Amino acid sequence: MARRPDATSPPKLLLRHRDAAPGAGTVYAVHPGALPVGLWTGLSGALPPETGFAVLDLGAVPEYGEAALAPESSRLTIDHLIDLLTTAYRADRDRTGADDAGTVLVGWSFGGVLAHGLTERLEPRERPLSVVLLDSIAPTDAYQHTEGDEIDPSLVLRWFAMFLGARRGAEVRPSPVPDGADAEAALTVLLADAIGAGALPPGTPLSGVRKLFEAYTAGLLRNNRLTAPYRPAPATVPLVQIKAGDSLIPTDPTLGWEELAGRGISAHSAPGDHYTMLIRPDASQAIAGLVPPLRPAHLVSTRRPSP
Amino acid sequence: MGKVTADEVQKWLIDKIAERLGEQPSAIPPGQYFDELDMDSTEALIIAGEMESWLGFELGTTALWYHPTIEALSAHIAEESARHGATA
Repeated sequence: MARRPDATSPPKLLLRHRDAAPGAGTVYAVHPGALPVGLWTGLSGALPPETGFAVLDLGAVPEYGEAALAPESSRLTIDHLIDLLTTAYRADRDRTGADDAGTVLVGWSFGGVLAHGLTERLEPRERPLSVVLLDSIAPTDAYQHTEGDEIDPSLVLRWFAMFLGARRGAEVRPSPVPDGADAEAALTVLLADAIGAGALPPGTPLSGVRKLFEAYTAGLLRNNRLTAPYRPAPATVPLVQIKAGDSLIPTDPTLGWEELAGRGISAHSAPGDHYTMLIRPDASQAIAGLVPPLRPAHLVSTRRPSP
Repeated sequence: MGKVTADEVQKWLIDKIAERLGEQPSAIPPGQYFDELDMDSTEALIIAGEMESWLGFELGTTALWYHPTIEALSAHIAEESARHGATA
């Protein structure tokens, strides 16, 4: 649902789930919209209870929504978004104190691009121990769209099917679309598939799913436009890429981040697809297990081998 | 669909939202912000698309953003409808 525009008060970017226990670190997640921000309770709950957890929610930035809905009048840049994130991150670090075990930044999807950008904007002493990317595509030339605002329609339909399914805990398997079919015909087929899978209620009109598809595509195009002129710095902290089992781009294990991994990158996977990896409890557990530990040494339990 | 009034749009919207939420239309307050109703953005956009079919013209992409209550959106659509009627 559209949020209320409020140009008079600064956006509330940071949502605090849990403060860190004394001496323990904090995980900050960068949320790029598309799914409800409340879904981060899954990862928050799967992390060790002494670890602090907060979400930096881009959905709270009016210009970010407007850049998708009214791109012709938007002057938004990634650098401006990083400015906002940096301010919120520093304010929270000042509030909680910096004498803990450090931080880890987690960024899902486009949030990974911003988590990396935020890290490189910070002073070395402020930086997280690592950046964890959740099925996030690197903002590098290999993934730039050079053909204007076009994205491969078959790719977008596959992603849109994942998105529809994720909202209702269903798996939508798109039926083949005949060669030469236009977008309207492809959406008609997808609508039937989505209703059949229980992702949309029976009787959902084509006009409704078309509107939803337009909004979905507008978000993707916004992210492409923001990324096109952006030149990211090489990472000065280790990167961890956790791809979804059914990833946006199945073939590339780091989704292009190897090129930016100045301090190394490790590649892993978690259950689910690009969207359900934020929803499924087993995915939250898998991701939490891959987040570098932030516990001080005296809180880390060492398990002895059984005799 | 010819020219519509704000009251007609408001009734249409309330009926659709009530149906989606499984509520009586009388339980849907027209002055409440959309983001305070128990609907997610998917459902809201589907209703918006359905409304475009009913109206016969497209809503601006920012309509829900800048007119975030049933009451405000209905008034905006009535104005748009009058404008479309005048230029038809």
